[in-house]
Amino acid sequence: MNAAPGLIELTIDGQKVSVPAGTTVFDAARMNGIRIPTLCHQQNENPVGVCRVCVVDVGARVFTASCIRPAEPGMVVTTNSERVESARRTLVELLMSDHPSPCARQQHSGDCELETLAKDAGITQSRYPRRTPRASDDSSPAIAVAHDACILCDRCIRGCNDIRGNFVLSRMGKGAAADIAFDGNLPMGESTCVSCGECMVSCPTGALTNKFVVGTALGREHEGAPATVEELLALPVFQNVSGTFLELNRNAVVKRHYRRGEIVCREGDFGSTAFYILEGTVSVSISTPIAHVKTAGGERGFFSKLGSFLVGRDGDEREEEVDRRTIPIDAPVDLDYSHPVAELGPGDLFGEMTCMNFYPRSATVRAESDCTMLEMLRNVLDSMLKNKTFRARMDATYRQRALEDHLRRVPLFATLDQAFIDQLRERVELIRYAPGQAICRQGDPADSFYLVRLGFVKVSERHAGGELVLAYLSRGDYFGEIGLLGGGARTATCTALDHAEVVRIPGEEFRAMVERFPAVRSGLEAIARERQDANRQRVAMLGSVPLESFLAQGLMEAQSLLVLDLERCTRCDQCVRACADAHDGVTRLVREGLRFDKYLVATSCRQCRDPLCMVGCPVGSIRRRNSLEVIIEDWCIGCGLCAQNCPYGNINLHPFTVQADDPDAPGRKKAMVRKKATSCDLCTSQAEPSCVYACPHDAAHRVEPREFFAPLLGISAARKEAE
Amino acid sequence: MRIDSTHRAWLVASAVILGVSAVLYAIYRVPASAGSMGGTAMGLAFGILGFAFMIFAGLLGARKKVPVWRVGRAQMWMRGHLWLGLLSLPLILFHAGFHSGGPLTAVLMWLLVIVVVSGLFGAILQHYLPTVMTREAPLETIYEEMEHVNAQLRQEAAELVEGAGARTAEDEEGVTIAVEEQAAPLQRFFAEELRPYLENSAARRGPLADASLAERSFAQLKRLLPPELHDTVDDLEDICEEHRQLARQARLHRWLHGWLLVHIPLSLALLLLGAVHAAIALRY
Repeated sequence: MNAAPGLIELTIDGQKVSVPAGTTVFDAARMNGIRIPTLCHQQNENPVGVCRVCVVDVGARVFTASCIRPAEPGMVVTTNSERVESARRTLVELLMSDHPSPCARQQHSGDCELETLAKDAGITQSRYPRRTPRASDDSSPAIAVAHDACILCDRCIRGCNDIRGNFVLSRMGKGAAADIAFDGNLPMGESTCVSCGECMVSCPTGALTNKFVVGTALGREHEGAPATVEELLALPVFQNVSGTFLELNRNAVVKRHYRRGEIVCREGDFGSTAFYILEGTVSVSISTPIAHVKTAGGERGFFSKLGSFLVGRDGDEREEEVDRRTIPIDAPVDLDYSHPVAELGPGDLFGEMTCMNFYPRSATVRAESDCTMLEMLRNVLDSMLKNKTFRARMDATYRQRALEDHLRRVPLFATLDQAFIDQLRERVELIRYAPGQAICRQGDPADSFYLVRLGFVKVSERHAGGELVLAYLSRGDYFGEIGLLGGGARTATCTALDHAEVVRIPGEEFRAMVERFPAVRSGLEAIARERQDANRQRVAMLGSVPLESFLAQGLMEAQSLLVLDLERCTRCDQCVRACADAHDGVTRLVREGLRFDKYLVATSCRQCRDPLCMVGCPVGSIRRRNSLEVIIEDWCIGCGLCAQNCPYGNINLHPFTVQADDPDAPGRKKAMVRKKATSCDLCTSQAEPSCVYACPHDAAHRVEPREFFAPLLGISAARKEAE
Repeated sequence: MRIDSTHRAWLVASAVILGVSAVLYAIYRVPASAGSMGGTAMGLAFGILGFAFMIFAGLLGARKKVPVWRVGRAQMWMRGHLWLGLLSLPLILFHAGFHSGGPLTAVLMWLLVIVVVSGLFGAILQHYLPTVMTREAPLETIYEEMEHVNAQLRQEAAELVEGAGARTAEDEEGVTIAVEEQAAPLQRFFAEELRPYLENSAARRGPLADASLAERSFAQLKRLLPPELHDTVDDLEDICEEHRQLARQARLHRWLHGWLLVHIPLSLALLLLGAVHAAIALRY
C-alpha cells in the first residue's frame, strides 16, 4: 500500500500507521492511541529528549528517545518489549534515587509524574545511592523551589523562555552539580521572575510548587476575601483565562469592599497590586500641593537671606512648561493641572504600573460610594491584560478618555483639529512590550510613529565602541519621527525599560498628519534636527575623550559639575553650610564623591545627559529642559523614586508643612508634611551658586566638565571648536 | 587658603601701605624721651588704621556665619583677612613706636604678636596640608563620618574572616577540620593584630600603622595560608590601608583646624582689649 502524498507509513507495536512526514515517533504513537510514557516532553513545548523515559526500539544499535526521533517510512517501532520496559524502568529508578519521595506535589495533590511512573513500574525503593541533598529556595512569595525534587527535564525552562518569553530560567552547573537557576543564579524572589506560574504548571514533580500568597503579598487592612475561581471566571475580564491558573493563584486576587470615604491607596506609597473596580465609583486625586520649590531672597538687598518655598505655575512660570495641561497618573485618565481630581467607575483598572513595575502609587484613590473591587498581584493582572476581550475594552477606554490628552500634551500636536484626532482615535494601535523588548531597531525601515502611554523607553544607538544611550522617554514622550521624516531607516533602537505600552500611529497616518498640518511638520522637523545634532555631539564626545576614568565616573554625562580643588580646600564645609542656609537647612550638596585628578566631584546635581533619575517617576514630574537642566514639575508627589534612582545621590526630598485635605476626615484640612524632590538649582535667583560664593579658599567651582578638564583630557582648543 | 599668584594684587597693595606707613613713621616718629607715639596725630592714625584692619580681619568669622549674604565673595574676605590682618602688626608697632607701654598695651602687643604668628602658622598649614591630605589620603571621608566609616571597616573585616573559614569548610567537604586549621593563622592574625589596630582609630605605632611594615605582614600571612584565602587577605589589606588613610586624614585635619583653637579666642580677646584700650586712651 502506498502512502498518500506528504504522509509516511511505519509500524508501531505491530500496528501499521500513517502520519505526516516530520512527525516524531512519539507523536505518531500518540496520534494512533499508543501511549509512550515521558517526563520531559509535553505537547505545548518543543521536545528536547533529556529524560529518555520515552525510549523505544527502532531496530537500531541503541534505543532512541521517541520524542525527538522523526518517524521514517517503513520504520518498525517497538514501545513495550521486555528490553524497552527494562531500560525505562532503570531510568525511572535512577531518577527516583535522587527524588525525595513523596515530594511536595505528591503530598499535596498526589500527581507527581515521576512518582506515578515509579508506582506503575512497581518501584518502591531505588537500588542506587542518593547524591548530596540540594537546597530549597523559598524566596518567592508565589512559588516554592525544591531543587532536590528537580529531575532537570527542562520543562520549566522551556515554559519560561519559549512559551512566556520571560527568559528568567536556565540551567547552571554541570553533571551532578547541575540545577535550574533564575537570572543566572539569583534566589527566585530576587530575580526578574514575574510569577506567571508557567514553570510551576510545567513542572512534572514537586520541584516548583504553588505557595499560598495571601497574607504575605496582599495586606489584610481592608475587608476582603480571596476570590473563588468560579467568581472570577464569571467575570467577563477573566473569560478565557485558564481555570487551572486561577486555581493555582487563587490567593493572588482578593475581592475587597470599601465604604464611602475610605482610602484605597495613597500617592507615594509603594505597592505591588492593581485594582479593578467591580462596583461603585472612586475619586483619584493628588493631595501634594501642585507647586515647585523655588529658592530666592525674601527681601531685596545685600542682607537678604535665601529661602525655599512652594510656588505654583501662576506665581513662577518656568521655561517650557506653559503648555502642560494634564498630569499623567497610573490610571486610564490623566488629571487636570488646575484641578487634579478624576473619577473612575466599574470596569476601570488602576495601579497597573505599580503592580507591573513596582513604581510608587501616583495618586490617592478614595471611595466616592460604597465600592467593590478586585485587588490583584502581578501574575493575575498579567493574565488579565493578555485577555483579548479585556484588552479591547481597556484600549477603547484609553482611546476615548486619554488619547486626545496625550496627543495634545505634545505642544506640536496642540494645533491638530478635532476631526483629525477623531480619525486618529480609530486608527492607532496600543502595543505592550515586556522589559528589554525592542520596539524598533536601528536600521529597520521606519513605518510608525510612537507615543509612550505607560512605562519607560530607552533610546540608544549602536556604535563601534558599544551602545550609547541617547534618551529615556516616559509617558507622553514620542519617538520615531526622525526615521519617518527622513523617509528611511530607524536611526536608533528603542527598547522598553519596564512593562511599557506605546501608542503606535501608522506611517501613513503620520504622513497624512504632517501633510495636512504644515506647522506640525515644520515643528517635528526642527525637533528631529535638534535631536540629531545632539546625538552627533554625543557621539563626537564619545570619540574625543580618551580618559577611561573620566568616562567611568560618568563625568562625560554631566553638563555642569561642582568641583572642589582639593589642593585648596581646607575641608571647612562652608560650601555645605551655604547650601543648607540657602535651602531652609536642607543641603543639596555633600562634600564627598569621586575624585578626578586633584578635584573632588561633589555630590550635587550634575545635570546628566543620561538622566537615570527620570526613569520610573509615577507621575512623570521630573524631566529636563532643552538646555538639559533637570526640572521638577509642580505635580511631584514626593515619593522619592528619583532620589533612589540617581546614581550620584544628588536628589533630595525637601519637607514642607502645608495645609492639605485630611484623609481621615473628608472636607477638612490639617497641617501635614509634604515632600518635594529637589536637586541643585544653581541658586538661579543669585548671580553665583551659594556654595561657590561662600568658599573662602577659592576651591569650589561650578564648571562645564569637558571645558574645565580639557587640559587634563588632552582636548585641544581646535578640537573643541570642531566639536 | 593657598597663597599663589592670585594674591599678587593684595601683596602689592599691602607692600604699598606698609612702605607708605614706614616712610610716614620715619618722618613723624617721636623719640622715646619725648613721650608716646600713640598720642600724636600720626600715631593715632596708625592705631586707628591698624585696629580697623584687625576688626576687618575679625569680621571674617561673622561673614562665615551668614554664607549666603551677598556682601562680597568669601574668598575676598579671606584675602583681606590674611593681608590686612598681617599689616595690622607693623601698623600697631608704628602706633606704639615699638614700645610696649603699660601693662594693658603690653598684653595687647603680645596678643597681637601671638595672633599674627598663629595666623601665619595657620596660613602656612592651609597652604600645604590640603595637598598633603589629597596625596596621602585619597580615600578620605567627611571628618564627622570617620568614626562611622571605621566601624564599617571593622565589621567588614570581621565578616571577611568569618566568611573565609565558612567558605573553605563548605568547598572542601569531608576535610573540614584540616581546612579550618589552615585558616587558623588568618583568624589569629585578625584577633591579635588587625582587630586591635582597627579598633584604635588613633594608633600610630605597630606594624599595621606603617604601610611598608603592613605590606610585609600581609605578605607573610599569605605564605601561611592556602591560595584560596589570598583574596581575603588582599581585601583585609585594603581595609587596613583605608583605616590607615583615615587615621592620617584625622591627624592632618586636626593640624589644619587645630591652630584655630589658639587663633580665634586670642583674636577675640585682642579685639575686646583693643576696644578697651582705645576707649581708655581716647577718654583719658
